[in-house]
Amino acid sequence: MATINLSPTHSVSYLRLFSSLPQNTSALSLYSPVKAKPSLSLRYISLKPYNTDTDKPRARLVASAVKNLGETDPIVLLAENEAAASELPSGTGVYAIYDKNDELQFIGLSRNIAASVSAHRKSVPELVGAVKVRVGVVDEPDRETLTQAWKSWMEEHIKANGKVPPGNESGNATWMRQPPKKKADLRLTPGRNVQLTVPLEELIDKLVKENKVVAFIKGSRSAPLCGFSQRVIGILESEGVDYESVDVLDEEHNCGLRETLKKYSNWPTFPQIFLNGELVGGCDILTSMYEKGEVASSFKK
Amino acid sequence: MASRGANMMLSRANRIKTKLQSALEATVLEVEDVSYQHAGHAAMKGTSGQETHFNLKIVSPKFDGQSLVKRHRMVYDLLADELQSGLHALSIVAKTPQETSAK
Repeated sequence: MATINLSPTHSVSYLRLFSSLPQNTSALSLYSPVKAKPSLSLRYISLKPYNTDTDKPRARLVASAVKNLGETDPIVLLAENEAAASELPSGTGVYAIYDKNDELQFIGLSRNIAASVSAHRKSVPELVGAVKVRVGVVDEPDRETLTQAWKSWMEEHIKANGKVPPGNESGNATWMRQPPKKKADLRLTPGRNVQLTVPLEELIDKLVKENKVVAFIKGSRSAPLCGFSQRVIGILESEGVDYESVDVLDEEHNCGLRETLKKYSNWPTFPQIFLNGELVGGCDILTSMYEKGEVASSFKK
Repeated sequence: MASRGANMMLSRANRIKTKLQSALEATVLEVEDVSYQHAGHAAMKGTSGQETHFNLKIVSPKFDGQSLVKRHRMVYDLLADELQSGLHALSIVAKTPQETSAK
């Protein structure tokens, strides 16, 4: 991830800027001296809305186009009220997340505010649940102006509260969008040269009975090799199901699995999804369950 | 019923239609060859890429009371020969007449 070094300073801590930029995955880091005292000497950032040092007319326009943090109306997000969530703009801008006690937790910037907030709600719902989101949509969304807008809100908050929002402190990764670390696929044997001591059918039987959800797919869960398998993984992942995956194309570790499994399940195709030791079906059936909203209730504990 | 020999002259799509139509008394039977969509896949390396993937839409009273898994199994059993001889995958929509008219 590229970082932008805006000013070379020694002995400073930097503010972590959360950016969920679907196309552009570089993270922006700002260097500024932040200590716990109310007065900050921010060398290159002026505390006035207009940064006369840089004298960039566009930035000036934007800084005034984005309302101050204090002036912006909050949008309350209630857990039950999805309609409020759809009020969030899906454009570019800065947003501020407050928790249930009205404490500012995090100021972020995003190219799709609605998506970012939705992701936060999924990953840290206890910090976002019934919360206010202050949104300032930026009209000219290039990185420079975005950063300016973000900075102005950050300064405003720091000025009013004397400290950086907890989520923006350096080292705090709560709000960072990490690609979730996926489980490794299950392998039936450590390698082809290892002889099975029990018949493969027994291994399969044991596998599906000992694990609640098992998906036999083509390819690995991080790189499925067929569209149907990919869809199945997509559904299981998006519903947050805890599942085991087995690559039936892996002849090295799962030699002969394909043919044996077809006989075992009496099912001629892959992917195959097992729930509680029984075959649920393939991609079509899982998709139909997903559309009916049955996946979470059936597959999750 | 056509003899096996004569049957092989028809395309797989036709063979599928014939087999399913009579056994399932289907009121709606659509068979679509979508092999071209999968021809480049890693799993399909070494195959001809022809007549390997089909979309099926079947409406049949015989599906009544059957779970989705059972319905799919019925279809698969009827097409067992095809599955042994190069048919790779089927996308199946299997409904009963009541289910389609309910929409």
